[in-house]
Amino acid sequence: MTKQSPLHKIHKRLGARFTNFAGFEMPIFYSSIKDEHLTVRKSVGLFDVSHMSNVWITGDEAEKLISLTTLEDASKIEDKKSQYTAICREDGTVIDDTIFMHLGDKFMMIPNAGMDEIVTEWLNKKAEENNICATVENVSSNYVILAVQGPKSRDTLQKLTKVDLKTIEFFGCQYIDIGGVNCIISHTGYTGELGFELNINRSEKVDELFEKILDAGKEFNIKPIGLGARDTLRLEKGFILAGNEFKGGKTPLEAIMSWAINWDHDFIGKDALIKQKEKGDYFRLTSLIATEKGIPRHGFEIQKDGKNVGVVTSGTLSPCLNVGIAMGYVKPDFREKDSILEINIRGKKVKAKVVKPPIVAKDWAKKIGVEINE
Amino acid sequence: MSDEIRNDLKYTDTHEWLRVKDKNAIIGITDHAQSELTDIVFVELPQVGKEINKGDELCVVESVKSVSEIYAPISGKIVNVNSSLENSPETVNESPYDEGWLVEIEPTNLSEINELLDADTYKTRI
Repeated sequence: MTKQSPLHKIHKRLGARFTNFAGFEMPIFYSSIKDEHLTVRKSVGLFDVSHMSNVWITGDEAEKLISLTTLEDASKIEDKKSQYTAICREDGTVIDDTIFMHLGDKFMMIPNAGMDEIVTEWLNKKAEENNICATVENVSSNYVILAVQGPKSRDTLQKLTKVDLKTIEFFGCQYIDIGGVNCIISHTGYTGELGFELNINRSEKVDELFEKILDAGKEFNIKPIGLGARDTLRLEKGFILAGNEFKGGKTPLEAIMSWAINWDHDFIGKDALIKQKEKGDYFRLTSLIATEKGIPRHGFEIQKDGKNVGVVTSGTLSPCLNVGIAMGYVKPDFREKDSILEINIRGKKVKAKVVKPPIVAKDWAKKIGVEINE
Repeated sequence: MSDEIRNDLKYTDTHEWLRVKDKNAIIGITDHAQSELTDIVFVELPQVGKEINKGDELCVVESVKSVSEIYAPISGKIVNVNSSLENSPETVNESPYDEGWLVEIEPTNLSEINELLDADTYKTRI
């Protein structure tokens, strides 16, 4: 059965068109993807991302369980801090990438849409197998997640809370009252812009909060943003979409996530990753900008001199740059920065340049003259 | 939302329109189609001189997130394409029935045009 967000009616009223994503009927856009994308880059947008999952990890050894099952040593993550990481199988392939928040004596983990049961089961199983005193509870259907993203996101939310939001550092998280609603706020996002994510229990007045945020952002021309722009925004920054980039069993090394691996602790998949690293012959996730007309799409071949050297996992037109951009797995010897490869777009070879992400720089909006005081 | 449907055009179930001009046929996508696609960001046009059959893929129209094939409403030879769309694909959104036309076909079988939907019938299909 297709699930809906509790905010479905509001989305309908706001003119959303819907799409099915991982079992959820969610807005794909309200006005247009391009318009919404540029709104987030230049000002502020409000996303309902309730399709994402919420999992509580509690118990005396919650920290130990997270350390065993993710790339991160959770004992190094202080209270009121969020951490991006991934959960791997023994063979090093990623089950899911996720953020966990350290909230006093417990942790909230945010697995991807539709991954709630798989992750919960996996963690509980590992706790049991290793005699770790921790409980993992899937509470996804009790929570709504809103994301407020864009250079004006802090100014928008600041109007609704007494807490000075500047005191919440990047990747900070805490309990907070926003517009009279109890939230867990995390200074994180999936757009590469200044932004916050709010986890709210569904028993709270979520509808009212959604409207209050839209109201508070009015002076900045805030807009509701659908999953279409969420995807193009993340791709311009080189962020991974689990369903695309991990499909078929990819490791964090292949996905260029070595920066997120804390090698100084033991975790499931570590041995396999060490072996893979030593061998070094694996395809690696690579960002590309088309230097000719054409839009790369998922599944297109990446070629060099007519030979396949990779495959596109995500591709789109970049609304900021107005050119085709892509991410895909490429053979190690062919992905040096500034190398020119070809993408096979319906039989036509379109040249594309290897770039180091982000594809769209942090100061893109500033450079085109948008006033931003963060 | 009301999509414009013009009485003097012929239509297909796949949301192409056709206008008879002298002995050729001009083809585009309907107002309904462009509004469903939203921002059109790329149009891949066929080669002039290419022979196509009714129902063949005629060209490709892409929005930010989607790729849509446009099908030939009739058989014939491509005699002209709207190459201005290569630099300004958004014209298809702005003017789907006029400046945003896609291709001009010299029909091989005129009776195929009569088989297409008239405006009233198309109205009931969207």
